[in-house]
Amino acid sequence: MLIQIRDITKTYDGKIVLDRVNLMIDTASDSRDVLLRGPSGIGKTTLLRIMAGLETADSGSIEITMGEAAGGGKKLRVGMVFQENRLLEQFSAVENVACVDPMISRVRAREALGKILEEEALDKPVRELSGGMQRRVAIVRAMLPASDILIMDEPLTGLDPETRDRVINYIMENKGRRPIIIASHETEGLPKMRELALV
Amino acid sequence: MLKKSFIVIFWLLIWHLTSLLVHNNIMLAGPVNTIIALKRMILTGEYWQSILFSAVRIMGGFFIGSIIGILLAWLSYREKYAEDILKPFITTLKAIPVASFVIILLIWAGNKILSLYVSTLVVIPVLYLNTLSGLKATDPKLLEMAEVFRMPMLRKLCYIYLPSLYPFWNSSLQAALGMAWKSGVAAEVIGQPLKSVGNSLYQSKIYLETADLFAWTITIILTAMILEKLILKVLKVCIKA
Repeated sequence: MLIQIRDITKTYDGKIVLDRVNLMIDTASDSRDVLLRGPSGIGKTTLLRIMAGLETADSGSIEITMGEAAGGGKKLRVGMVFQENRLLEQFSAVENVACVDPMISRVRAREALGKILEEEALDKPVRELSGGMQRRVAIVRAMLPASDILIMDEPLTGLDPETRDRVINYIMENKGRRPIIIASHETEGLPKMRELALV
Repeated sequence: MLKKSFIVIFWLLIWHLTSLLVHNNIMLAGPVNTIIALKRMILTGEYWQSILFSAVRIMGGFFIGSIIGILLAWLSYREKYAEDILKPFITTLKAIPVASFVIILLIWAGNKILSLYVSTLVVIPVLYLNTLSGLKATDPKLLEMAEVFRMPMLRKLCYIYLPSLYPFWNSSLQAALGMAWKSGVAAEVIGQPLKSVGNSLYQSKIYLETADLFAWTITIILTAMILEKLILKVLKVCIKA
């Protein structure tokens, strides 16, 4: 699969947020993972939202060429970690992960969550969990459903160094051949990946 | 619990003292006479028949009105023009006095299931407006999350919309149920269907049986209260909020 982002431009209230941004991601390539860098307010989140189909660009295009292996002709399926956790606060971690996709059983959700979250936290309503725990739930929720691409906006926010390493390992071990686009201020511990600097 | 009992006893005492002061059972029957009347009524089959007759119709109207109100609210939420089209209809339903409804429907539909129609029409605007407010208050960020993950509609309903609707339904169902009973019984008092609570109330008034009138009133309050508790319990069990 080939994702080609061409000359994406986006303005808000007359202010240019993204100015002719270009990016090409070839899922067959070893350099398919991308780290988006740039100061706050530069448009990283906007670019990720455009890629996820949540916003439209003022100009430019995103072209997706599906290979046969990706099931040609299908729409791009995205696994996403938002800037905020966007969890269903009254539901448990297991329910939050299992609810998004009927193909994910609670057993599978529990097993996946167990890799980066303590057992006793799995069945509590997520509103009772710490910020870092909630972040991990949001990450597992993005990772588990079948998707063509993973988009993560500041996924390491609120994680202590030890947990951060566990989470990064979990992401890299479970992402398979899916390309991952990460916008992150914290780059410590992240494996080497192609960087796209927004200025 | 002790505090509640104390409050109830306090008001019963006020009622009792006032009735002693008035000293006229036709003007104001006291709690003792009312309880005696209630006890006598409970032992008759007619009492239970009347409750069943009225409850089936009023609650039937309540459920039909709730379903119509909720479906119309969903339609308005999905299509803005539907909200604009429905606005005058809902405003009219809200503004028409219950007595007008009753008389119009009495002419159109007769008195047998008048209370069902009336309570349906009274409940529709309450559930419509509250459901629409609840739907509009649904967290757009969660809806965006659901869109990204392509959550099936049924799951979106269970996990996102229903928890958002819960506080709105919790208050509106209580209000709607109270209104359904008030208007339903009023419809029966005017329409006079045989063996209904409204008819029994009317008979008590004709024969100046104030104690019976109070006993029927207590019956209506208790029935509505029990059904309200039951509905809210079911709502709480069904929706995780």
